[in-house]
Amino acid sequence: MEASEVSVELYVLLSAVLFIMGVLGVLLRRNAILVFMSVELMLNAGNLALAAFARQWGNGDGHLMVFFVMTVAAAEVAVGLALIVAIFRTKQSINIDDLHMFKD
Amino acid sequence: MELTLFIIVGAIAVLSAAMMLISENAVYSALFLILNFACIAFFFLMLNAPFLAMVQITVYAGAIMVLFLFVIMLLGAERIMTGDFRYPWLTPAAVILALVFLVAASAAIIDGDIDFIEEHKPDPYVRAVHAVIDAGELDFYLDDTLIASGLAYEDSSDFELWTEAVDSRHTVRLFEAGADPASAEPLGEEIVEINAGEALSFVAVASGTGDMDPKLIVATEDVTFNEESGTARVVAVNALAKWSSVAIVDKENNTTLIEDLPYGQASAGVLLKKGKHSISVYPDGNDQNQLAVLKNTEFDDNTSVLWVLIEERQEGNTFESRILNIETSGSPSFGSPTHVGRLLFTHYVLPFEMVALLLLVAMIGAIVLTHESLAPREPMTRRLANPPAGLDQPIIGKPEK
Repeated sequence: MEASEVSVELYVLLSAVLFIMGVLGVLLRRNAILVFMSVELMLNAGNLALAAFARQWGNGDGHLMVFFVMTVAAAEVAVGLALIVAIFRTKQSINIDDLHMFKD
Repeated sequence: MELTLFIIVGAIAVLSAAMMLISENAVYSALFLILNFACIAFFFLMLNAPFLAMVQITVYAGAIMVLFLFVIMLLGAERIMTGDFRYPWLTPAAVILALVFLVAASAAIIDGDIDFIEEHKPDPYVRAVHAVIDAGELDFYLDDTLIASGLAYEDSSDFELWTEAVDSRHTVRLFEAGADPASAEPLGEEIVEINAGEALSFVAVASGTGDMDPKLIVATEDVTFNEESGTARVVAVNALAKWSSVAIVDKENNTTLIEDLPYGQASAGVLLKKGKHSISVYPDGNDQNQLAVLKNTEFDDNTSVLWVLIEERQEGNTFESRILNIETSGSPSFGSPTHVGRLLFTHYVLPFEMVALLLLVAMIGAIVLTHESLAPREPMTRRLANPPAGLDQPIIGKPEK
């Protein structure tokens, strides 16, 4: 395995930037679907860091972790979108500011 | 070149993530997210993970995002609702928090104590080879770990990962099969150094003609995937005590593969083109006196071959030299689909099954959540688990806007 030109630090920095954009999306967007997509962005940023470290350590476990994260994300999307559809049916809205039945 | 590509694709990834965040239309957001996922798949390719890149495109950019787009279109939620913010202070707070986190993370990555520089090599492999004529079955111990038991003559054990401490001195000991390593006297003993990334064969050979006390020779092989395709890698071990050193010649091409290999030593690895070869062994500097030959033997590419030159007892107590040919196929290279698959079906079978179960549960959950008769009904009834004193019936009605 020859040393790569791009150091692992750059990959981890990029992954941190993407993760923070995902956090901003979760905090700032009001559309439940967009919040959900931002969560996917955060998961992908984590995957990128895992793959970068896997190469750094020459260890395949990181790749398997990425694989499992992808599988769990697929399961999460199935349930999450079903939840959004169910919420839309009852509230006729997916604005998360409207979802405060528990509060008042 | 690689750095330029990284910067270009990284810029596209960050830009597409930003566009996803600020797009007014949810469909555009989803499409920008797909572009972002494609960039990450490209990074997986750059990181030696072609399998992950493929899964990223098919599962993430394909299946998951199609599901998102489908739900967006189903609900007619393309347009973002522009209402007044319920928490107007949240925007600056979130931006400040994100910047603080970014600065903290960058500081940790750039100045932190994380060990980014040192390349780590994979754990070493060890195996045992029995080439002691006339000896019975043998047990091999590395320190106090049994690495091969009941090994018969001409046999070799499979390469096993050695996960204990490396870069230090270890003792290989040789016992008759079934002997207790704590009390029995070892037949042979050798101190070896094991380094990460190596594949070591501990070859037990007879020491000297007629003298059958075993002796241990350590051969270092390379069983990783052979980058130079079309070649096999060969390591030879000389156990011919009669000759001070030998040469090994490939007869068809008339090329000398290994020169001046002294008794009791292992050669460095040499590359051999795949296909049929006839291999001869001569004493050094004497190409008339052929000691042993390996006729028309097929060598596959991407294999590691160990030749052990031994003397075999013939009838009438004479000895004849021969080559013991032991082939090992190379292990798949890091990150290849074979590598991932092998890990998945050895170390990660249980997590794999559990994830499969999780997907099944998620499928049932999605059906339950969206099914007409099972979904929460309109109007929403609000019930208090512990009604206040004086309230006999639950509060029913819609929450006011």
